[in-house]
Amino acid sequence: MTDGPKKIIKDITKGFAKHGYICSEQIATAVFLASQLEKPILIEGPPGVGKTELANTAALYFKKEMIRLQCYEGLDESKALYEWRYGKQLLYTQILKEQMQEVLEGAKGLKESLDRLMKFEDIFFSEDFLETRPLLEALTSEKGSVLLIDEVDKSDEEFEALLLEILSEFQISIPELGVRKADIKPLVVLTSNNSREIGDALKRRCLHLYIPFPDAKLERQIVQARVPEISESMQIQLVNFVQGIRELDLKKLPAISETIDWAKTVILLNSEELDAKLAEDTLNVLLKHQQDIEVVKKEIPALVSSATETSDGKSLN
Amino acid sequence: MEKVLTDFVRALRNSNVRVSPAETIDAVSVIDSVGYEDKELLKRTLSIVLSKTPDEKDKFNSCFDDFFSDEIKQQVSVDMDQLSDIKDVDSDLAKKLLEGSQGELMLSIADAAEEAEIREIRYFTQRSVFTRRILEKMGVGKLEDELMQLGSSREDELPSDLEQELRNQLTNLRERVSDYVQQQFLLHGDVSGEQLREQIFKSMNMAQIDRSYLNEVHSLVRKMAKKLANLHSRRKKNFKKGKLDIRKTIRDNWVNQGILFNLSWAYKKVDRPKIYVICDVSGSVGAYARFMLMFLFSLTEVVSKLRGFVFSSNLGEVTNDFKDAKLDEAIEKALQKHGGGSTDYGQALTDFVSLCLDEIDNKTTVVILGDARNNFGPEKAHLMKTIKERSKQVFWLNPEGKYRWDTGDSVMTKYSAYCTKVFQCGNIDQLERVVSTLLKTAI
Repeated sequence: MTDGPKKIIKDITKGFAKHGYICSEQIATAVFLASQLEKPILIEGPPGVGKTELANTAALYFKKEMIRLQCYEGLDESKALYEWRYGKQLLYTQILKEQMQEVLEGAKGLKESLDRLMKFEDIFFSEDFLETRPLLEALTSEKGSVLLIDEVDKSDEEFEALLLEILSEFQISIPELGVRKADIKPLVVLTSNNSREIGDALKRRCLHLYIPFPDAKLERQIVQARVPEISESMQIQLVNFVQGIRELDLKKLPAISETIDWAKTVILLNSEELDAKLAEDTLNVLLKHQQDIEVVKKEIPALVSSATETSDGKSLN
Repeated sequence: MEKVLTDFVRALRNSNVRVSPAETIDAVSVIDSVGYEDKELLKRTLSIVLSKTPDEKDKFNSCFDDFFSDEIKQQVSVDMDQLSDIKDVDSDLAKKLLEGSQGELMLSIADAAEEAEIREIRYFTQRSVFTRRILEKMGVGKLEDELMQLGSSREDELPSDLEQELRNQLTNLRERVSDYVQQQFLLHGDVSGEQLREQIFKSMNMAQIDRSYLNEVHSLVRKMAKKLANLHSRRKKNFKKGKLDIRKTIRDNWVNQGILFNLSWAYKKVDRPKIYVICDVSGSVGAYARFMLMFLFSLTEVVSKLRGFVFSSNLGEVTNDFKDAKLDEAIEKALQKHGGGSTDYGQALTDFVSLCLDEIDNKTTVVILGDARNNFGPEKAHLMKTIKERSKQVFWLNPEGKYRWDTGDSVMTKYSAYCTKVFQCGNIDQLERVVSTLLKTAI
């Protein structure tokens, strides 16, 4: 190891920033550990804080192929691991039928026919007829890959058990062909929105990263990176306003992605200053539930004034 | 250095962060690459490797800060040369106190603590015992004897410098040892008192649990319910391979030119059970009903068809309240609406029969929670017979101790004749056992 871990972590932070992903030290450390230990990372956190984006950026940063598996209820091995090409296999049996005539020509008795049949090469279950699905693809990828298993919590418990072999040994057993092992271990990222508790067995095999809502400073950096056109004062006001909203008791709190959308909206509207009217008109970009919008509407004057106040004094800097 | 880590893991486990040996090994290899130098980095990395839920992360952070705090108390040291009569004392401890460095002293405290089996400390009340034990192992007794001698050898002059100094050092030592014990308690003991509290709650009569503890009991109940749910949810998913589903097979195999290559089976799902719970919420049993409902409605994962009824005189259904609202609110609402009146089991049974006798079939389990104290009213036990005949099984849970059944206005025997099983169910432990039996037989 030539570089110290601190330097590598710094490099990761910088490299990710280049691709427009501003990460906290915690996130950078997790990425470093995952690549160092060759262990999967399980990322949890509220929706919209950039869990999926982290995997995308990691693929860009490590210059690896990105393979994504979206989980849903009922996802099974034929959709996640591999599948046989039944159509081709059927055609193969048709060809075989014709070939069989030649092979068996002149054979005397049943026993000799059977012997010849046994010597005949059989490729019915072979790589040629194997349709790879994301998980197998990630293992066999020649350049190495980043495998994103998105929203594991949406899949069934049985599917989790299926993942265990892949995540700890980086191998898949195909009964007809034997064990397929990865030459280059993929960087595996799992995300979860916690709609269901992930099993302990799976958690034990993963590093665990929790991404919370960012603090004001980090969020400003993110908005700056994603929406560079925005003026500095506006950016500070927006972020403060969103941070204020997160203090309220809402059904769904606005996440970073919503802040970015809002910033883009404000740019479209050509507004220079955050005021109560602007906030009220564009609130539906931030909040996705009518009840939430009603709750926040009442608070707008207070939120706006505190957001603009702090930005004037720049006290948060 | 590994010992530091394993100690830390132990401390983590102690503050209810579950860490497996495999994760400890991970942590060791992580430390190999990041080292111990940068504390912040160490904290971040270990947090990723060892703590696996947001809740655990919080606990991890506070535990880490406690464990790796590098506060070292500085003590005022006295110039030893001024003490002329140092040869007058000859106990090891006195010499250590007067001459030894701080480090050596700490080391000997640690050794003595090891001997005193400090790792066994569990409750905060044990701190003084362990402090005393450690001091004894260090030889405080002998030092005290010597101090006595020093004191008695002088007539009525002021105590000598040596004596004064030793007394000061001894006080310091006591403080240090008690600090040390406190620290060790944090590592090894039941710091939050959670385990102790859980134990007490589990075996305590449910009616006597103070309302201010409801939240804690609730989380305990949820924990137990989750355990049961995990245990039983697998059974629910067991499919039985049924007969060939011809329509589906043909449809699925169009892609294979109609050759029936992939067979589809008509799966037969195991029937989902129905559970009907009837709770007495009158004054005497209301408190138990609260826990019963709490437990059952924490089980919705496994028991999908659960209906709840409460009564004191008239019966009312509470299923929807529990499905929509938060558990606490639902319980309050149910108790307010139906609770508090005088009990009439006869009326409640009549209501239940007219309300849903038709829905009761041979997959239904009926659970009745009550003390069967009927205020000498008509018990209408024949209704119990009807229910028993139609249903799969009838359970009766009585919160009262067995010796009180059939005393006064209790008509337990009359009802229990028509029950598949009767349980005594006064504390959470018993409740768990009952619910476990229920899940085993009902599902």
